[in-house]
Parts: sequence; C-alpha cells; structure tokens
Amino acid sequence: MKSKRFEVLANRPVNKDGYVKEWPEVGLIAMNSPFDPTPSIKIENGRVTELDGKCRADFDMLDTFIADHAIRLENAEKAMALDSLEIARKIVDINVTRQEILDITLSITPAKLTEVVGKMTIVEIMMGMTKMRARLMPANQCHVTNVKDNPVQIAADAAEAGVRGFAEMETTVGIARYAPFNAIAIMVGAQVGRPGVMTQCALEEATELLLGMRGFTTYAETISVYGTEPVFMDGDDTPYSKAFLASCYASRGLKMRFTSGTGSEVQMGYAEGKSMLYLEARCLAVTKGAGVQGTQNGSVSCVGVPAAVPGGIRAIAAENLIAMLLDLESTTSNDQTFTHSDLRRVARSVPQFFSGTDYICSGYSATPNYDNMFAGSNWDAEDYDDWNIIQRDMKIDGGLQPVREDDVLKARNKAARALQGLFRELGLPPITDAEVEAATYANGSNDMPDRNVNEDLKAIEDMMARNVTGVDFVKALDKAGFPDVAQNIYNMLRQKVAGDYLHTASIFGDNFHVLSAVNAPNDYHGPMTGYQISEERWKQISDIPNAIRPEDI
Amino acid sequence: MDQERLMEQIVQQVMQAMKSGGSAPAPAASVGGKVTAQNYPLAENLADKIKTPTGKPFTSLSYDKVISGELTADDMRISPETLEMQAQVAESVNREAFAGNLRRAAELIAVPDDRLLEIYNALRPYRSSKQDLIDIANELDQKYGAKAAATLVREAADVYEQRGRLKKF
Repeated sequence: MKSKRFEVLANRPVNKDGYVKEWPEVGLIAMNSPFDPTPSIKIENGRVTELDGKCRADFDMLDTFIADHAIRLENAEKAMALDSLEIARKIVDINVTRQEILDITLSITPAKLTEVVGKMTIVEIMMGMTKMRARLMPANQCHVTNVKDNPVQIAADAAEAGVRGFAEMETTVGIARYAPFNAIAIMVGAQVGRPGVMTQCALEEATELLLGMRGFTTYAETISVYGTEPVFMDGDDTPYSKAFLASCYASRGLKMRFTSGTGSEVQMGYAEGKSMLYLEARCLAVTKGAGVQGTQNGSVSCVGVPAAVPGGIRAIAAENLIAMLLDLESTTSNDQTFTHSDLRRVARSVPQFFSGTDYICSGYSATPNYDNMFAGSNWDAEDYDDWNIIQRDMKIDGGLQPVREDDVLKARNKAARALQGLFRELGLPPITDAEVEAATYANGSNDMPDRNVNEDLKAIEDMMARNVTGVDFVKALDKAGFPDVAQNIYNMLRQKVAGDYLHTASIFGDNFHVLSAVNAPNDYHGPMTGYQISEERWKQISDIPNAIRPEDI
Repeated sequence: MDQERLMEQIVQQVMQAMKSGGSAPAPAASVGGKVTAQNYPLAENLADKIKTPTGKPFTSLSYDKVISGELTADDMRISPETLEMQAQVAESVNREAFAGNLRRAAELIAVPDDRLLEIYNALRPYRSSKQDLIDIANELDQKYGAKAAATLVREAADVYEQRGRLKKF
C-alpha cells in the first residue's frame, strides 16, 4: 500500500527541485567544511609571507593578490589573534559600532571571515546585515529585458519600474548586437519613470565598457570574479585585469561593482575541495583589493548549487554579510529562479528583504518570468503586489511602493513615445504608433508586435559607426519634444563630471541628490536607531488601493 | 532550471577534474588632502572647484549649451583633479583601497578609449608575453604619467610569469 499523504507530498512543487548530499572533498558543501584552511597570517617586513596556512612560495594568483592588496596589515596580527566566536558576538552586539567591527574585519583573512560567519545562525546573520549594510536606507534593483529584445517594451517596462520605486535597472540581450538599443531604451524609460535611476547593460566586459564610455549606461556590475585560479582563467580574466578594468570605469566617471557568488567554482569544476563560502570570501577579498566600491553577490546565477546542499541558503546570506564586513556596497542577488516552490523562494529572500541591504534584489524582474533574459528571477512582475503586501505586513522598506494603474499607463506611454521620437530624430528604424500602444498596455513580449530585426541590427551598426553618444540622445529627445526627459539624461551625464555617485552604495534621491555610504552611512546600533521609515514613506508603503476604508462602511 | 541534471553534471565534472591549479610591491601611497566627507557631494558643495577635462567650470555646464552644441561629449567627462578630490573623500571615510582605485583611474583619463580597451585585453590571461606587459607598463608610465597603473601591470607581468599565464608561443 502507498500512503496517500506521501503521494500528495511527492507532487508538491518543493519536490520538483533538485537536492544533493554534501561531498566536502570536492567542494560540494556550502560552509563549515572540514577541508577549509585554518586562518593564519604572517607578516615580515611589511609583507604577508603566510596566508591561511600557505606560505608565499605556494601562493596561487589569488593568494598573491589578496596578500598584497586586500588586507590592512597594521592591525592584522592583532585582529587575527581574536577568537572568531568573539568577533561573531561583536557583530550582533548593538553596543559595538559598525566602525569597530570594520577595524577588525578589514584586517582579517578570507578563512577567518568564513570562520566568523560560520559561528552565526541565520537570525544572527540578519542582525549583522542590519548593522553592517553600508547605506542607511535599503534600495532595490530590477532587470528589464524581453525575449524579443523589443526596445519599446524595454522603455515602457523601465518607466513602470521607475514609478514602482527601483533605484537601479539592468538590461541584457538575447541577440548581442541589440545591446545599444536595449541600453538606450532602458535609460530613456528609467528617466521617464523616476529621474536619477542608474542603468546598465550586461555584456561581455570590453563591450560593456565601450557602451559606458559612450554614455549609453551609467554603471556596470557584471564584472565577474571567481574564487579559484583555474575558474578565473576560464572566465578569461585575472585579478589584475579586473582591477585594471575597475579603474577604466572610474576614469570615465562610471560606477561599477564586481560580481561573484557561492557555487560558481564547483559548478565550473574547480573548487579545489574548499567550501563554497570560503571561495566566495576569496572573491570578496579580491574585490576589496581591487579597490572596487561594491559587489553583487549571493550566489547570483549559480543559486541552484548552494540551494541543493544543506545550509545553502544560509550560506548565501552569510556571503552577503561578508561583503558588508568588508565595507562593500552589497547588492544581494535574489535574482535567478531556483525553485518551483513559492514558499521556498520567499524564504530565500527573507534575510535580505527583512534586514534590508543596499540593493535587495539584483535584480527583481520588471517583466513576466518568461521575458527575463537572465534565466528568470526569484521575483517577477507578477509578484509586484506580493512584494508590496509583504512590506506592508512586516513594516519594512523593500524599495518599492504600490502604484495606481493610470500612473503606470501614463509613464509607459510616455516612455514609448519618447523612444519613438528619439529613434525618429536619430534616423533609426521607425517605432510605429501601434508599437507604442502595445507597449503601453503590454504585460510581456507576447503582447508586442514583431520588429524587423535585420533592419534594427543594420541601423545599430550604422549608429555605432557614427559615434553616437549620450549627448546625441539629449539633443534628439529635446528636438522630439521631450525636453524634460532630455533634461534628466543631461543630468545623469552631468553627474559623471562630478563623480559623487562613484562612491560606495550610491543612489540618487530627489533632484539628483546623491545618497551613499559617505553622506548617508548606516548608523544602526539597536532599536530606534539606523534607518527609520518616515511617516510619509510608511503611508506610501501601506496605502494600497484595494484596502477597505472603515469610513466607507 | 533542471537542478537534478545540474547536480549530476557537477558531480561528473568534479570526478573528471580531480586536478588542481607570486610576489609584488604595494599600491600607490596616499597623500593627505583637504577634501573630506564634509564636502560631499562635491556637485553640491564644491561645484566651483570642479572642472571638466576640457577646462570648463562645472558651474558653467548647462542643458542649453548641450542643445546648442557648445558642449560636446568630450566636455561631459570627469577630470583627474576631480577624481583626486573623490579619492580624498574616500580616504576621509577610511576607504583607502577604493581611493587607490580612483587614483589609478585619474591617471587613465589621459589614455584614449581604444587604447584603454586594448590594454585591458592585453592583461587577460595568455594574451601577452612578459615583454609585452613591461612595454605597456612603460607606456603607461612614460607617455601618460600613469605610475600606479604601471605598477599594477608590472606586478601582473611577474605573477603571470610565475603562474604560467603568459602568452604561449
């Protein structure tokens, strides 16, 4: 006889997910591996001669880079001598300030950081996040893509996402050659929806930089680093090339962060028998050593790997905390789809969503799941109201707010028309009124007419050969009768001259006023300190259109 | 999304790949500066100190000048002096590594876009001989005065040699 209960359970979404038993010898373990190195440091004549049990003669490229660039040496021996448990306790102790913690954690090695967070429960990790996040107030980032690379839809979806509250938006491509159109479309849409939104287009490293140089984007985050040397080489980079690339971005006034995450090394077959979290700690040390202001981490596109092993989702939160312990802007993934279970996908986001991080998702899909070209997201356009209600239930600020349908339609329509005007002025293939209409009301690309892809790609090639830049977008939008949108794009270009937004955890508030860990640092030290939701903001979050008003009854 | 297949793949890969896989000077020293977090954001509090790389005051930039063509894309860039001020802001909030990156960046402003992309590509694994990298370091140093960036490239040359990541002939 078969149990009917078990039959029901077997058919639950959670049992459609894949799981695997730990295999520490090959790195198929989230954290606390018996094979992780014992923390150690030896400094002779101002130079690290031993790091986490390895002497300099045995260093690989990452060890060398970390030893030479990533650790504050003045205080290192003292900080390394502290008991890891004591450091973990200080992290959750409200009487120990964020700065006091950083004085320790910026002076310790990857193995020590791994050991410290390994002493913490998920709730303690969340306490740590609340205190150690760089920026005072949390924010959120979204993906704006679609399977057709339809730029009109991208502009409309970005405009809606702006109205909904996202501070950053990222696009990418199905067809690589479409990148310039996608980058223009997300920028125009974003500046219609919420002036000051930063936008990026994820591409191969050199191409991505080129688009930034030309003023098509304002920041970049898909600059991947890995925790073992062979995987780094497979990624076609080194810590040195990536550090150089980081400086290239800043030299053009572009904000950037690195990206890494647990599971990438074991997925690529070279985990060297270390835990996923230890390897991620090495990635974060490389990021710190390169002088980059922040990171997108939290397994990101490898989430299926830690999610399959015991304690994997805890490890993802732990890696976010390590980024914060290194004083990095923390952009905490919660992106790629990893589970069939709605319960599981919410639980996976609780640590970052409830604690608040610099960017809770990186990103939240501003489209239906099928249009997300980053392999879906843990949160999609269909979940907008769920996100809003959870914020309202828990009284937390997840960076979004409820919206009215007519405001959204107005923004979508304006973005589509602005892009139509810009295309006309730049001599690009026309955007028809029918496309504008479809984009205004669309849910996804299934609702959009097809464009002539060959014609678009030819026009893109020609536009890039003409050396069109951000300045040309400003002029074209002005001429097309959208001076307010043009002004917003001009303001983003102007910000590049000043460079304030290069700093840790920057976003733009009202009137292009930059808010970052410099002028809005997190100062949490217990109840009623740190970020407090203002009355005005709480009204915005809690005032949902479908709530019954007692006075109406 | 097919996680089970992914897990199997990983296990297979690991079984196949049961094999595994330097030294250098320190980054540029920082100099004490007057600009601090108190002056931030510079666009609001030190606007009169900021200039474009083409020498135009930040306060003279305007939307109308972009429309009229008086300002071009070359004007809408950051200057080495501004990046130095931002590096000082970073130092004032104890972010020395980030400040070092901004100083390296300040040096690289003078390097044209195309050359910058070429140098980045040359730093990727197996792209350059040791001499190629030393030549690039000398070019950065002598032609552009990019001392910190040159140091990083020289460091890479040594480490790539030790780790067998130079161009294979």
